[in-house]
Amino acid sequence: MSKGVLVDITRCMGCKACQVACKQWNDLPSSNPAFKDGLTSPPDMDGYTYTTVQIEVIEKDNDYTMRSGKRQCMHCLHPACASACFAKALQRDPKTGAVVYYPHLCVGCRYCMLACPFDIPKYEWDKQFPLIAKCQFCFDPNGKYDRLGHGLGPACVDTCPTGALKFGERDELLKEAWQRINRDPKYIKKVMGEKEAGGTSWLYISDVPFENFSFRPNLGTRPLPEYSHDFLKWTPVIAVGWGTLLTALYHYTKRREKIAAEKDKNVHM
Amino acid sequence: MTNHFIDFKNSDVFLMIGSNSAENHPQAMKWIMKAKDKGAKLIVVDPRLTKSAGLADMHARLRPGTDIAYINGLINYIIENNLHFKDYVVNYTNASFLINPEYKFEDGVFSGLVEKDGIKSYDAKTWQYQMDGDPVKDGIREEAIKKDPTLQDPNCAFQLLKKHVSRYDLKTVSQVTGTPEEVLKKTYALFASTGKPDKAGNVIYAMGITQHTYGSQNCRALSVLQLLLGNIGIPGGGVNAQRGESNVQGSTDFAMLNHLLPGYNPMFYASKHKTLQDYMDKDVPKTSFWSNRGKFVVSMLKAWYGDKATKENEFGFNYVPKHDGKNRTHMGIFEEMSEGNIKGMIAWGQNPAVGGPSSFQGRKAMEKLDWLVAVDLFETETSAFWHRPEADPTKINTEVFFLPAAMSYEKEGTVTNSGRWLQFRYKAVDPPGEAKSDLWIADRLFKAVKKEYQSGGKYPDPIFNMVWNYDIPGEDEPNIDQVALEINGFEVGSNKALDSFGKLMDDGSTACGCWIHTGYWYVDKEANTVAAKRRMNKDKSGLGLFPQYGFAWPANRRIVYNRCSADPAGNPWNPQKPLIKWDALAGKWENADVPDFKAVEPAKEPGGQATPVTPDKTVSFLMQEEGRGRLFAVKGVNDGPLPEHYEPIESPVQNIISKQQTMPLATKFKGDFSKIADTGSDKYPYVGTTHRVIEHYQSGAITRNCPTLAEVSAHMFANISPKLARKIGVNTGDDVIVETIRGEITCKVAVSGVCVPLNVNGKEVEVIGMPWCFGYKGIATGASANDLTPSVGDPNTNIPEYKAFLCNIKKTGKH
Amino acid sequence: MSANKGLLQEIKEYNWKFTMTPARKVLFLLAGLGVVCMIFRLAVGLGMTTNLSDKWPWGLWIGFDVLTGVALAGGGYGTAIIVHVLHRGKYHAIARSAMLTSLLGYILVMAGLFMDIGQWFNFWRPFVSWGHASVLFEVFWCVSCYTTVQVLEFGEVVTEKVGTKYHAMFKKALPVLMIIGIIFPTLHQSSLGALYLIMVDKLYPLWWSPYLGLLFLMSSFFVGPAMICVETALAGRAFKHEVPIHVLRGLVRISGVFMILYLGLKFFDLVNRGVFNLIFKGNLEGNLFLLEVVLGVMIPIFIAFSGYSNTRKGLITFGVLVSGGLIFNRMNVVFTGMSAAIGGWYFPSIMEWAVSIGLVAIGALVYCFAAENFNVLDHHEEHHHNATA
Ligand SMILES: Nc1nc2c(c(=O)[nH]1)N[C@H]1C(S)=C(S)[C@@H](COP(=O)(O)OP(=O)(O)OC[C@H]3O[C@@H](n4cnc5c(=O)[nH]c(N)nc54)[C@H](O)[C@@H]3O)O[C@H]1N2
Ligand SMILES: Nc1nc2c(c(=O)[nH]1)N[C@H]1C(S)=C(S)[C@@H](COP(=O)(O)OP(=O)(O)OC[C@H]3O[C@@H](n4cnc5c(=O)[nH]c(N)nc54)[C@H](O)[C@@H]3O)O[C@H]1N2
Ligand code: SF4
Ligand code: SF4
Ligand code: SF4
Ligand code: SF4
Ligand code: SF4
Ligand SMILES: [Mo]
Repeated sequence: MSKGVLVDITRCMGCKACQVACKQWNDLPSSNPAFKDGLTSPPDMDGYTYTTVQIEVIEKDNDYTMRSGKRQCMHCLHPACASACFAKALQRDPKTGAVVYYPHLCVGCRYCMLACPFDIPKYEWDKQFPLIAKCQFCFDPNGKYDRLGHGLGPACVDTCPTGALKFGERDELLKEAWQRINRDPKYIKKVMGEKEAGGTSWLYISDVPFENFSFRPNLGTRPLPEYSHDFLKWTPVIAVGWGTLLTALYHYTKRREKIAAEKDKNVHM
Repeated sequence: MTNHFIDFKNSDVFLMIGSNSAENHPQAMKWIMKAKDKGAKLIVVDPRLTKSAGLADMHARLRPGTDIAYINGLINYIIENNLHFKDYVVNYTNASFLINPEYKFEDGVFSGLVEKDGIKSYDAKTWQYQMDGDPVKDGIREEAIKKDPTLQDPNCAFQLLKKHVSRYDLKTVSQVTGTPEEVLKKTYALFASTGKPDKAGNVIYAMGITQHTYGSQNCRALSVLQLLLGNIGIPGGGVNAQRGESNVQGSTDFAMLNHLLPGYNPMFYASKHKTLQDYMDKDVPKTSFWSNRGKFVVSMLKAWYGDKATKENEFGFNYVPKHDGKNRTHMGIFEEMSEGNIKGMIAWGQNPAVGGPSSFQGRKAMEKLDWLVAVDLFETETSAFWHRPEADPTKINTEVFFLPAAMSYEKEGTVTNSGRWLQFRYKAVDPPGEAKSDLWIADRLFKAVKKEYQSGGKYPDPIFNMVWNYDIPGEDEPNIDQVALEINGFEVGSNKALDSFGKLMDDGSTACGCWIHTGYWYVDKEANTVAAKRRMNKDKSGLGLFPQYGFAWPANRRIVYNRCSADPAGNPWNPQKPLIKWDALAGKWENADVPDFKAVEPAKEPGGQATPVTPDKTVSFLMQEEGRGRLFAVKGVNDGPLPEHYEPIESPVQNIISKQQTMPLATKFKGDFSKIADTGSDKYPYVGTTHRVIEHYQSGAITRNCPTLAEVSAHMFANISPKLARKIGVNTGDDVIVETIRGEITCKVAVSGVCVPLNVNGKEVEVIGMPWCFGYKGIATGASANDLTPSVGDPNTNIPEYKAFLCNIKKTGKH
Repeated sequence: MSANKGLLQEIKEYNWKFTMTPARKVLFLLAGLGVVCMIFRLAVGLGMTTNLSDKWPWGLWIGFDVLTGVALAGGGYGTAIIVHVLHRGKYHAIARSAMLTSLLGYILVMAGLFMDIGQWFNFWRPFVSWGHASVLFEVFWCVSCYTTVQVLEFGEVVTEKVGTKYHAMFKKALPVLMIIGIIFPTLHQSSLGALYLIMVDKLYPLWWSPYLGLLFLMSSFFVGPAMICVETALAGRAFKHEVPIHVLRGLVRISGVFMILYLGLKFFDLVNRGVFNLIFKGNLEGNLFLLEVVLGVMIPIFIAFSGYSNTRKGLITFGVLVSGGLIFNRMNVVFTGMSAAIGGWYFPSIMEWAVSIGLVAIGALVYCFAAENFNVLDHHEEHHHNATA
């Protein structure tokens, strides 16, 4: 069974330790980002930022409150990005569930960015030969950034002081998520990622609507690759069928022409 | 802290007031979250919606500078509704002690206010106990004090307190603080619920409480509150300052304060201490634990001057420079600097150009220096003050020396956390370039000075006679073990480390640099290393005491005043969480923590039997001369025996509690540092307050130089309410100018619910929150909030009023 | 010309023509500008040259050059079916010109794509690293194959003039090429639409549809004749090449029929998904959708089957409306339909415009060149037009 992380919004204090740990573990460069609101920074994930802690002031029972939520690749069970990549530069590792990017295969079409229902893949726009950037779940098969492969938790999770992030087997985390929800009425009765986009390795529970952390409100539960598949599965049929039909028509109409031609020949005689 | 971080897990209700642990003490927040998992409740009292408030069960917004109104209101609520912990109050506090009938409180001032050449002070004569004998001559012995255990006598401390706070009813408090009455009620009710024997209420406070002209009284109010609810000395209780710099506890223990000697002994003053005997007579109490002070001070002198410290020369008393009685705190020093009375300054691990109040004027004052030595990791705004944006380097003659220092991970030594735990840390990496450990720098500095004196100089004895035996042949670094041993204390001659300050003597037979640390360098056989290096995760009690993990001063005691965790007969108030216990059958104490009272009487003759002290003979507050917690402070604070609300020096409103607008004794300064806006000023209509952000540490010297941290908070900003934003026509991200009578800064504006207007007695008061971590050096730069803050201080500590001042905000041209 | 000369020599000897006109000078200028920008873009990357961002990873080049370009070039396979499969002889008149436009269209599309991909030196990857689950994979293969096929197809035209000795061979292969050359477009015209199937959470329901593929295919088919109307109108002036009205009208009616089917499918699907009401919501999406459908489909259908399509004016109006409507439709899919979900703001940079316009200019020039030297516009009688435009 594949790995996962349970993110509990109600336990996150917005300290950004995870965000910084990610940069440091993955040797990602830092920038001088634009000002957003004095809370979240950089304003969003970017070509050099795999994860951001999104800190929001939220109106709650006619007062304000504050919540923080870490965002990064959800490591979908049926990754739209991977299915969208026509060069196989994004692949899901069945053992860990990590959806990993292989730069040497990337053409740079950015279809993955549009395909991802969570808007995760970002691009190194300022580079001459830019690449896609996204959380790799600290899985880097025989590479220097590997943690999962060595049986460690992700850098971000291992850094979290409050237990807002918990690493483990996805199905066990899912159980725990529902236990927490059922134990405490404050939670919204939903585990983000249990079904969304066909299910994701990273799971979220919260006491405020998930939209606050820029999850799309209309996320479907059907694995997105299926939409493409439903179309592509016809390709061979059309290719062959259409082909034979055309050939048939070609010969048929040609003969008719001939016959027609013959006819008026005869007339002239 | 009376308690410690891990102990937070034992709390039932937290009152986090003027502290934002989620941002500033994340590791503390972790333990608060653990308690919440077990059902504990968190109340946050803060003008701003902080990350802590976001995680809280209740958030009470109040106007900056009105905490005493809030707390006195809570105390009044408790007494009115009879929710205080009676047995505790009667037995462990001075509630029943009778106070001098001449004590008066009128128009917001206490009896005894005197004014001498413009400076106000209190003569505390009328605040004293009714007792037989002279309190000054033979001390305030508990048994000599008149009492009324029924707490009915109008002159008993309890009745005086009750009368004093009776003016703080819900309506009045709400009119002062701007906190809606229902919010007051529900937070009061929740915290008052910890007055029961088996409930633990934990007060967590920090700079929101202390950085006011009545900061000490804020803390006093919190102590009174906790005494009434019986929350001091128990697991999960206490008054817990979330302290600052990772080792600020250590630095205060070592008296990085002008009025103290190491271990919180008073400083030697030229005016009143002609001889060591004067000190013994005037500053060593006749009663209580403090009657041992003489031993601590003599042992300290012995540690400093070794065999040059003899009975004949008063153990080198005259080698020690005496305090001249002037204001030698940050603001006093900068005032004198601006007047040109200070020639040189060593900024050793501090960045006042960003961190000091009225920093614009502060930086200007530094131009008067002939020389400046900066010992730091980076070139900070302080060491770079001469080429700061607003200055002309060609006009500044200060000679600046920069000594690169090693960071904490680049050297070894102990760090003391807020829980008083000393933990020895080993070096992780070598310092870069020429950077050296602070110990190395101090060592070489002393040797250089000594060398200068070889060629003569005024009164070189203190230098020549100073013990300085820290060399290890062939080693570059000084001998840190020798330094540690000297701090810990040893038997003169054998040089054996002492295990407890109980062994210290005033006859020169012992030497000890800092008595409260005694035992931290004593070898723990089981751990086979010195106490401060222990890392044993044993916790028999299950209360998180971890007695063999590091060393907690004093005497490795994890929770101080722990006698109060059990009833007079010695049975724990909360049997579930026994800290100490009198086993009546065995006739001895069963203690999980090191008792904060005399539990056994040492054997009279060597090799004899030590005899247990029965509960009735033990003292609850060993550190107080009268042995009790003080509801009414007969001494300790110089600005009043009971906490009283005053307005901040700069306030948008009149004080409605009394005619006295501001703290009568507040310290003020001259010249550049004297600018104060008038009450209710319409030029500066908004209340400004400064705070920290998790991303940056203090003046940001380190974090703004660290790319990964600079990135996660890259801009100076001011938080304002949506309503104020509409009024001045700005949106989040616009540039704004924030101005006070002292100066102005330009920064980004953040519009959100972090700050909202408060209804203060019918007047709508807007609050503007600003981080103070920015400056012009480093990767992430920005304006310094301290260019706005006033130079006025608390009469006890001189801490500046960073947390409440008047300002104005307007949008700039550009966006 | 005799067949036994070396090809190069033949090319050398062939008397190439290219007449300069003010209009063409302008085209050259634009083309030149475009080329400079392209080189610059390839040298410095996308960030400096485009207004693309993490929010808007796809912009003008994909939206217009690729999605729209391919559709507009769709005329090629459409007429191919009619002429070479159904052997509707009368349409021969436009067969070749349609084919040429199509060929050029595709080459430009490829160029546009090449400009857009970040790792352009890596463009060949998908040939060896098969992401076959991706719709883009199909697009990529089909487009590249189809372009090759078209080059070969055009070989038949070229070899009439140069490399004449290969002409026979090409003529032989033509039927096969034709059929393959119809299958590929059928597949990728639809897959271009199907690219957006996976954006079900993002693309506005008025445009997202399980039938996106089919809808794109149909529109690419019925836009063919419309393009031919426009094109012949232009070419007509340029080369005094008048395609008889009845020929064009026939085509227009064919596409009319497909447009009705298209409209039917669209509305059926909207009702089916219960989002029909969104059309009249009065929001940006609703209104633009209406505009697209009314102007680009409904009115043209009316024209097609009214007497108006009997006049050149009518045919041109038809052509302009339908092609315009299709461009509008693709733009709505790429931009209008996504903006709500994506947020932020995108407007192409000057460079992006320059490149796109440059590519079109190059296309136009090559077209003129081909038209002057080979039998594209009319290959029944053999004579050369001298351009006047
Ligand atoms: N990340 C980080 N951690 C730090 C530091 C740092 O700079 N950065 N500094 C360290 C140091 S030296 C210290 S001293 C501590 C300080 O720790 P804190 O005291 O927690 O720090 P502050 O943010 O200055 O103040 C705490 C809160 O007081 C609130 N406040 C302001 N005025 C008032 C008031 O009048 N009443 C009440 N009740 N609240 C008020 C502010 O809104 C703020 O949220 O943090 C230490 N830890
Ligand atoms: N407006 C406003 N102002 C405030 C406060 C506020 O709440 N509001 N808080 C006040 C408080 S609580 C405090 S504690 C002060 C802090 O004020 P400062 O102590 O002046 O500020 P820091 O940034 O902590 O300065 C520490 C310096 O020491 C350096 N340093 C770090 N480690 C080492 C080391 O190992 N050796 C040496 N030699 N140097 C080292 C750092 O680079 C930094 O320059 O600020 C005060 N100023
Ligand atoms: S979240 Fe997006 S990027 Fe991550 S696996 Fe899912 S589809 Fe791919
Ligand atoms: S940008 Fe790279 S990773 Fe993304 S779809 Fe295209 S080729 Fe695949
Ligand atoms: S899993 Fe690894 S790569 Fe992903 S956000 Fe956490 S630290 Fe970064
Ligand atoms: S480290 Fe944990 S608590 Fe801190 S922001 Fe990340 S998830 Fe939240
Ligand atoms: S001192 Fe360091 S470890 Fe402790 S809470 Fe602060 S940042 Fe965290
Ligand atoms: Mo501090």
